[in-house]
Amino acid sequence: MLALWVRGVLARRFMRVAGTAAGVALTVALLATLTLFLLGAGASMTARAISAVSIDWQVQLIPGADPDAVAKVLETTADVRATHRVRYADIAGLEARTGDTTQTTGPGQAIAFDDSYSKDFPAEIRSLSGSADGVLVAQQTAANLHVGPGDMIVIRRSGGLPPASVRIAGVVDLPDADSLFQLPGLPPRAAPQAPPDNVLVLPAEDWRKLFGSPDTPHPESTRLQLHVRLAHGSLPADPTAAYAFATGKKRNLEIGLAGQAVVADNLGARLDAVRQDALYVSVLFLFLGVPGIALAIALTMAVTMSTAGGRRIEQALLRVRGAPMRRILILSAAEAMVASIGGIALGLACALYFLGFVPGLRDNSASAGTTLLLVAMAGLLVGLAAYLLPAWRDARLIATGQARRAVIRTTTPLWQRLWLDLALLAAAGFFFWQQASTGYQIVLAPEGVAATSVDYKAFIAPALFWTGMALLTIRLSGRIIARNGRPLRALIAPVCGPLAAIVAAALSRQASRLTLGIAMTALAISFATSTAIFNETYNAQARVDAELTNGSDVTVFGTTDRPAGAQLAALEQLPETAAAEPMQHRFAYVGADLQDLYGIDPRRIGQATTLSDAYFDGTAADVLGRLASTPDGVLVSEETVQDFQLQPGDTINLRLINARDHQYHPVAFRFVGIAREFPTAPRDSFLVANAAYVGRMTGSDAAEYVLMRSRGDPTALARQASTELSFDPPLKVADIGEATRLIGSSLTAVNLRGLTTVELSFSAVMAAASAGLMLALGFVERRRTFSILGAIGARPGQLAAFLWAEGVLVVTGGILFGLASGIATAWMLVKLLTGVFDPPPQALSVPWLYLGTMLGLLIASVAAAVLFTRPRPGHDAERLRDF
Amino acid sequence: MTDVLVVAKSVRREFPDGRYGTNVVLRDVDCRIASGARIALTGPSGSGKTTLLHLLGGLDRPTHGSIDWPGLGPFDELRPRHVGFVFQAPSLFPALTVLQNVELPAVLAGEDIQAGSMAARLLEAFGLGGLAGKLPEELSGGQAQRVAMVRALLLGPGLLLADEPTGQLDSRTAQLFFDTVLDCLEGSGAALVVATHDETVAARMATRWIMDHGLLFTEPWRGRMP
Repeated sequence: MLALWVRGVLARRFMRVAGTAAGVALTVALLATLTLFLLGAGASMTARAISAVSIDWQVQLIPGADPDAVAKVLETTADVRATHRVRYADIAGLEARTGDTTQTTGPGQAIAFDDSYSKDFPAEIRSLSGSADGVLVAQQTAANLHVGPGDMIVIRRSGGLPPASVRIAGVVDLPDADSLFQLPGLPPRAAPQAPPDNVLVLPAEDWRKLFGSPDTPHPESTRLQLHVRLAHGSLPADPTAAYAFATGKKRNLEIGLAGQAVVADNLGARLDAVRQDALYVSVLFLFLGVPGIALAIALTMAVTMSTAGGRRIEQALLRVRGAPMRRILILSAAEAMVASIGGIALGLACALYFLGFVPGLRDNSASAGTTLLLVAMAGLLVGLAAYLLPAWRDARLIATGQARRAVIRTTTPLWQRLWLDLALLAAAGFFFWQQASTGYQIVLAPEGVAATSVDYKAFIAPALFWTGMALLTIRLSGRIIARNGRPLRALIAPVCGPLAAIVAAALSRQASRLTLGIAMTALAISFATSTAIFNETYNAQARVDAELTNGSDVTVFGTTDRPAGAQLAALEQLPETAAAEPMQHRFAYVGADLQDLYGIDPRRIGQATTLSDAYFDGTAADVLGRLASTPDGVLVSEETVQDFQLQPGDTINLRLINARDHQYHPVAFRFVGIAREFPTAPRDSFLVANAAYVGRMTGSDAAEYVLMRSRGDPTALARQASTELSFDPPLKVADIGEATRLIGSSLTAVNLRGLTTVELSFSAVMAAASAGLMLALGFVERRRTFSILGAIGARPGQLAAFLWAEGVLVVTGGILFGLASGIATAWMLVKLLTGVFDPPPQALSVPWLYLGTMLGLLIASVAAAVLFTRPRPGHDAERLRDF
Repeated sequence: MTDVLVVAKSVRREFPDGRYGTNVVLRDVDCRIASGARIALTGPSGSGKTTLLHLLGGLDRPTHGSIDWPGLGPFDELRPRHVGFVFQAPSLFPALTVLQNVELPAVLAGEDIQAGSMAARLLEAFGLGGLAGKLPEELSGGQAQRVAMVRALLLGPGLLLADEPTGQLDSRTAQLFFDTVLDCLEGSGAALVVATHDETVAARMATRWIMDHGLLFTEPWRGRMP
């Protein structure tokens, strides 16, 4: 009996089974890809985070400690890949004579790396000019002293030692200076230590001669550190677990060293920072992924429900012939199993296909098997529930004679009488206001503390809003359809012509079936719209962030000696250049604090880079306008304003190097505004002034940097600029892609792209399926009705009018309610997930192309449903016999 | 205009049966229906009555042979116009009221002039006047079949094909119902073909055709009705 039933269903009701199988496939594929993504995201973030750490541990020896003994403890405690000794010595200052002038600097440090250091830690030192061996001077120090390769400088040593002269062999950049010069052993919440302004890198032998025995350093002025690179293979994939593992190892080492050394754990610090990002990924999964899964399940239920009429009649016939409820449920379960297994196979095949090319999924292939097995079981449950729940309800509640009824009129549902939709929307508004107005933080991972927390209350508002909007869609669309008024007839008139009145009358009695289709379509469009807008806004902000770090699409970095601005004319002529603007990068003392000073043309800088309102205290246009109208104006950071208690209009005396004597001289500026961020600037403190004024007051209008806007391909522009500037190696060309990779080590653009690729693909499919598939299955179920219409004289065009009218209703209602709900949801998500954005967006970015494509797919799916399922001549007689 | 409404020549209808077989439902059927004819089509279940009605009404196409409708005016894309059909199974449009169902053929034909009053009169004639605003699901099987007959009669068909129209009626109601049908057709020149198992209905028709295993016997029948 079971096999016979299944064979019969497959032979005669294939579309019905295929519809449910498609729904299950969608659910399984989405669930599998999202789960794999979530698991893979953590592993990918950990891998990217640790790859950005140059020195895992910096072990600073206590004076008198035995370096060999410390190294031995290191070897036994951790899986060490490389250890190098680095020596530091404080110096009182440096001095250089050029022409008739003598330049001196303040205090600094002289360091020495042991042999093959740069092989194991290549990111620590970068040669800019001259030799990579011998005495090397840091770029900023070279600028301060106005020296280059071949020049002599005098080291003023601490501790009463006489000055010593050395010859400069090369100029270097120390990209990781913050870490390289940190003081290990500071308490976790201590203020960050600024790296020294003046640095000299000496060969180990020269350092020993100048600063004494390396193994017995003077505690007052010299230090020895062991720089350690660990093997990362044993680190857990999850960032939180990796953090716990790394910090545990560090504590274990500290116990083993027993007061011989203190440890700076750069690896642990980096993983500590990534933990919060990993939590944000989980939150994003919950915000963006869970609604998609819920929608896929609801769609499976709705699709199955759209063919419930036929099953109800079959069950009624079975009951008439004496089948007990148990037998009816078994037969339903058999059909459900067939649909589910087919859907699971198709869904898993899709997931495996995605596994191959969606970023963030392939990192996780090791645990894919177990995940896919669990997902398959979930798919089976969804399929069984979609069939058995309605079957059980029908078998219990519906009398046999009622089964043939196609128009079941019910009383107003309880939720409508209770106005639950409006109550949910009001509650959503309240929770949203409460969350967004109190400066909450949705994810909290306190620095150095293992425990983390997520404020799950933030999910309440969007969940209530989504549900409320779905119910409101059902209420409003149901009311419009059931009333059969002018709006309904006007809506379908273009496709029904003179039949509009009779078609509207027919539709008005099928309001509950149609509103289900409209609600599902609206939910799918809402989901697709909110995800797409959130994704577009995130990408736009990620680009702004990358542009902030890099300066512009492409930035040419030079020095005061070799300013990139000298090549401005050539750079402007490059084919890919849309705009190029010079920008000065100098240093200025604010009191005793050395800060970066950027000299710009406030009226033109916006042509070459994006200046968001979030960068300033006030709008970008206002603040830059004030700067432009105040020649001696300066923008300073909030930190500086607080430190020096500045008021707008105050005069600030900064000390800048003058090009004529290479000495620092005070220059008066007027404080006109606050800059929180600025392209290429560090986050903590910097200054922005008019380039013309800086040039006049320092005797040099050289622009060290050039910011360049591309016509659309930053990589191509960078390539062209590199080729153009190849004769001048110190000029460094950087494009926005490099910055994206750099900042991408935290909440990565790549990882989120994996999530949104999956989301956007599925949401477009679900939008199309919810409208097209449901309509098609509904049409197939009512083929006999359409055959009767044909038999009593309806021409093909008139038959199509009935179908098109349903399509128009579902598409129009779905798009109207879906877009409204989607845009509101996206706005809510962006507000609630402010922590993800850096800087916060000024407005939502709308992906018109995606939305257009998605709506096009939706309309195409409805058109396909009508065209493929409309009754064709010659088959009417067979269907007329069906009961 | 000729008196012959329908001519069927050597009509054969086969349906696929299983993967490779075919089920022959009609075998070389020849017949013609003249205007004003009253034909009872009888025969055992499964003999091919419904299939023949579908073919005569243009709802189906013969596998072999031909059917022409010389007396039923122009074809309306798919099938001849002026053919009314009453189906054996429920055939009302579930989302329309009784009155809307009855008016539907007129709306589809674009002939809604006076269709409303005609529909109301016909419903009254068939004792359905009080049901005009009801939905089909609120009707009994017999009421639904009578509504289907009213719908078939509304546009004044040249040929009315009825498949077991009294199958769900008690004998007295069936009698009254059939009287009304014949009254409505009286003087219109319309032909009536009724597939039926009801001997009283068949007895009131001028001609009896008998179907048996796909064969049609149109000669006067002398024996007991199969």
